[in-house]
Amino acid sequence: MRKLMAWMVLAGLGIAWPAMGQQKDTLRAANLFGDMKARHIGPALMSGRINDLEVHPANPRILYVGSAGGGVWKSGDAGTTFAPVFDDYCQSIGVVTLDPSDPDNTIYVGTGETWTRNSVSVGCGLFRSRDAGSTWESLGFENSERIASVIVHPENPEVIYVGVLGALWSDSEERGVYKSTDGGETWERILYVNPRNGLADMAMDPTNPDVLYASMWEFRRTAWSFESGGGSSALYKTTDGGRTWNKIHNGFPEGQLGRLAIAVAPTSPNVLYTVIEAEKPERKGLYRSDDGGQNWKQLNNDFEITVRPFYFSRIVTDPRNPEVVVKAGLSGSISRDGGKTFKNLGNMHSDIHDIAFSIVDSDIMYVATDGGLYRSWDGGNTLEINEDLPLSQFYHISVDDATPYNVYGGLQDNGSWYGPSSSPGGITARDWNSVGGGDGFRVLKHPTKPVIYSEMQGAENVWRYDTEKQLLKTIQPQPTAGVADLRFNWNAPMALSPHQPDRFYMGSQYLHRSEDMGDTWEVISPDLTTNDPAKQGQEDSGGLSMDNSGAENHTTIFTIAESPLDEQVIWVGTDDGNVQITRDGGNTWTNTSGNIPGLPANTWVYHIEPSVHDKATAYAVFDGHTRGDMTPYAYRTTDYGASWTSITTGEVEGFARALQEDYENPDLLFLGTEFGLFITLDGGLSWTPFRNNMPPVAVHYLELHKGTNDLVMGTHGRGVIILDDISPLRELSREVMESTLHFFRTPPTVMDETSNFGSSTVSTEFVGANRSTRAQIRYFLKSRHTFGKMTMEIRDAEGNIITTLEPGKQKGLNVVEWGYRRKPPKVAKGKTFSFGAFTAPTVPAGTYTAVITKGRETFEHPFELVYDDRSGLTAAQREQKYRTTMELYDMTQELAYLVYQVDGFLEQAEKAGDKRNQKKLQDLKETLVITTGDNYVGAATPQLREKMADLYSKVAGDYDVPSAADLDNLALISARFEKAKADFEGIRPRVKGGNALQLASFEEFLEMD
Amino acid sequence: MKTFAYAFLAVALFTGVTTQAQSADEILATYFENTGGEQQWRALSGMKMNAKVNQQGMEIPLEIYQLKDGRQMTVVKFQGKEIKQGVFDGETLWSTNFMTMQPEKGDAETLANLKLNSNDFPDPFLDYKEKGYTVELVGTETMEGAETFKIKLVKEPITVDGQTREDVSYYYFDAENYVPIAVESEIHSGPMKGQTQLITFSDYQEVGGLYFPFSMSQGIKGGASQPITMEQIELNPEVDTAAFAFPAQTDGENKQ
Repeated sequence: MRKLMAWMVLAGLGIAWPAMGQQKDTLRAANLFGDMKARHIGPALMSGRINDLEVHPANPRILYVGSAGGGVWKSGDAGTTFAPVFDDYCQSIGVVTLDPSDPDNTIYVGTGETWTRNSVSVGCGLFRSRDAGSTWESLGFENSERIASVIVHPENPEVIYVGVLGALWSDSEERGVYKSTDGGETWERILYVNPRNGLADMAMDPTNPDVLYASMWEFRRTAWSFESGGGSSALYKTTDGGRTWNKIHNGFPEGQLGRLAIAVAPTSPNVLYTVIEAEKPERKGLYRSDDGGQNWKQLNNDFEITVRPFYFSRIVTDPRNPEVVVKAGLSGSISRDGGKTFKNLGNMHSDIHDIAFSIVDSDIMYVATDGGLYRSWDGGNTLEINEDLPLSQFYHISVDDATPYNVYGGLQDNGSWYGPSSSPGGITARDWNSVGGGDGFRVLKHPTKPVIYSEMQGAENVWRYDTEKQLLKTIQPQPTAGVADLRFNWNAPMALSPHQPDRFYMGSQYLHRSEDMGDTWEVISPDLTTNDPAKQGQEDSGGLSMDNSGAENHTTIFTIAESPLDEQVIWVGTDDGNVQITRDGGNTWTNTSGNIPGLPANTWVYHIEPSVHDKATAYAVFDGHTRGDMTPYAYRTTDYGASWTSITTGEVEGFARALQEDYENPDLLFLGTEFGLFITLDGGLSWTPFRNNMPPVAVHYLELHKGTNDLVMGTHGRGVIILDDISPLRELSREVMESTLHFFRTPPTVMDETSNFGSSTVSTEFVGANRSTRAQIRYFLKSRHTFGKMTMEIRDAEGNIITTLEPGKQKGLNVVEWGYRRKPPKVAKGKTFSFGAFTAPTVPAGTYTAVITKGRETFEHPFELVYDDRSGLTAAQREQKYRTTMELYDMTQELAYLVYQVDGFLEQAEKAGDKRNQKKLQDLKETLVITTGDNYVGAATPQLREKMADLYSKVAGDYDVPSAADLDNLALISARFEKAKADFEGIRPRVKGGNALQLASFEEFLEMD
Repeated sequence: MKTFAYAFLAVALFTGVTTQAQSADEILATYFENTGGEQQWRALSGMKMNAKVNQQGMEIPLEIYQLKDGRQMTVVKFQGKEIKQGVFDGETLWSTNFMTMQPEKGDAETLANLKLNSNDFPDPFLDYKEKGYTVELVGTETMEGAETFKIKLVKEPITVDGQTREDVSYYYFDAENYVPIAVESEIHSGPMKGQTQLITFSDYQEVGGLYFPFSMSQGIKGGASQPITMEQIELNPEVDTAAFAFPAQTDGENKQ
């Protein structure tokens, strides 16, 4: 409801319908995507940033992970495997808290990560589940952006304290400490300082729920600076449940304070630890109080204690020992002498954000890092990574034209990688290849050579990597005489040319072009940014703790795109709002940013997409969130930027970063925002969120793979997510939506002949889903089929029924898959199974028809199966393989019928007391099928059925033409079968009463169960 | 002004369903009314279903028995042999081992949880209050593209790995015709633990005055599913009590 209200407001202001003037109807596909489901391929091997950990207070198996950008995950096996429980809501998590009165069921999730680096996502309020994460309710705080703490009264679950850190990029009033005494119905703000100051950390005295400590932090980030600290940062205490608060600074450093952490020792509630960011380096560090905060004493100011407070300000006390404290940090460190001295935690991914001790054993620790979750069994000396959390945070992705195609991309603090979009047995950690260190950003594959370009932050290194020879060259543009110092974005843009394979672009404030894969560079533009000196003071950034990592470099180029239709047309977008175009390969440049109605000046140009349909057309996506502007901005020009039209509506949620144009239908566009994927079928008149197995995770980049029509998404928190073959969306029209059943075009399906031995994955590792290789029959249903029969048959060109499949019944898009196989042969009944006879033979290439019968109506759809050229078989060889397979298939069924007849006559002989023929038939039967043993190691000697079925299975399963050995064996089996039939014909007329025996015909027999 | 009109229209349409919203009990009452009437459902003593599992064209025939007293049995027909799975005679749960073709008993916890469901025939919602179950209308949701009422059903607590857990499932009743088209529940044990199971229902057809879904699809939410279709449903079938009993070791065939 709230969402709708917001939408109404936007609509009323006229922002929502900028394209209303056009004479076009909207075409929405809400809830109609049906079987089009996203698949997640991870990776999980480098996982991603985790913000907060929560252990169950009574059950040591249960652990929750609140990730920075990938939602909430629950483990029921002490951190071995995880399942997501928050996939319908924004994925950036600040805190997860279990209600101590009902920890099995009641979970609070405060969204919006709180370790406020430059690339943080934003939250969407406070949520509660009362059924262990199955369903969630919103408890408000929609504008809080970041929630740092939720504490539920240990005895009275109606009393809830919520600590809101609040907006990072702008002033806001929704900050500080809030309290509810009615289970979250209403909230009162009980501690507030000013619009720049929010709650950083909060703790409750475990023995007295009226005593709370709250650290309030003054902070602000812009795109070009960060400021931690100020006169209003302070540590407060209340002893009356939040009615009154007092600063507890006795023993604190003088002057301004920054981010403070607070921890209460659970077993000695008067022992407090705080980590203080202060003006003077020698006065920063760990402070301890032994009297509930009345007096403080500084214990040390080690590097690990004081490093980057905005990122690592957490201190955790052992639940059993007040003298054991662990501090988050670059490596993380642990003290066993009450905070006097520390040693680093063992080897794991750097940048530690949270630590949780097991409730049963303090040697068991969980550690949240920039690279996922680690678990220690020995008090933090050695740590193992969890392999089941696909939380990777991509800044950018790209694809190549291999089969299957690879996905390339760079990760926050986790280097650069590429991996396959499908892999035998699923996509696992070992499928991924490292192609860059540091923070990874853009990774591009050379269009024709085995060469990959990758980079680390701020173009400190740009690598050209020959993946065949494993040769590495560092190629970034460097300072030259007479040219100003180069300013590269943290996430420095690189681009390839759709026209010249060796061309490679980089952007600083200038556009650099190389025609020889980065060996030599030419500057082909003036400074394309605003070059505003007010946004270039990065060496002063950080506030009380200097933080000049390069992450705040500004007034730089951020996106570069050469038109796929004209290599002279190049678009450049800058982080300070310029949209520049050259139409003569860089000789002259035009800044079109003044032509964009409704866009605040200097809004970050995140992505420019030149159209594949028309060279004057391009799309630009702008991101204002680093100024607190969360509006999604996407515009289209059809005149080289002389004019721009907004193509977003109030239906889009979250600020936008990525846009992808369809290659065929110019009205089909995909938009990636902070809250997921949105699709328009009408060129931006209306948008629909896509949520089928697609959480509202921040989508940083979109790419449409040309060969497969797969939409590949680089998400910042859930790795690579792929929407396979979006081509049905091209056909979705009003007509289609109004027809009872509409079949979508099926491109000819290449029949997959590859085989593999699967993967040796252990069950605790994340495995990415593969793309289906089956034929896909896709259709649209106007309404859900619920009553009456609905069936689907596959028929060959002659109309023979090859197989039956179960059709989908959803309203919207249905996909039925067929592995191009007919039914397995009917096999003779024996004592045990004939495993070979479970093989279903592949049909020959050709035209087939899917026939759907729905009530009294019939719908037909022909489609093509084609052979895969890669196996190198000729048409004659294919024919021979198929003929031999079917010969064995038919023979298997004939043998089944023979055994059926033998059984019938055996019964008759027994009934008639014809012992002699009964014995003969029994002897015959024992040569036909196994009559003893079991299905495992008690198996009996194979008989004709087993030999025949095994050869059938081998011939049907091989990609190749039958071998000479196969054919020899076939001759042997055929001869034996002929003899068996003759033997039976010899016995049959002599069986007493056999003449009158009524047996099913062969055709009837095939129909029997 | 025009945009405002659109907006209000949208609000009206959106809230249309909720303003008509009814209590869970009303929805359930309509469901039973639309599918034959509560009296008829109560009178049912058992069902025998001839079904097929379709695995990419390979059809495996099944015979499924469900009886009012909780007894149940599935007979799988594989290469002409009958293999019994999930047989419950009121006391013992057993299945045929596929390797040895011999009967084996199910684990105690599964049996205990199954016994709790003995009173669910033919429908857990029928007289749910007497069973001690609770239902709650959680809201409306789109499922399979259709508007549905989402109803939470809580049954007797079950035991998983020695720990007591709530037995919760969510049913989605089609807002047009009030029959369930899907049910969701958390998987509590095994390698898929923690994930959500989704079963969909369609092809409702009438048998002896009652309506049954003749097609079901079972899978992991967001993942692949396995369809099962009914060919024939026989109401109040004659059954041989001996067929449910845990047999003495046989020669490998479970003869009826």
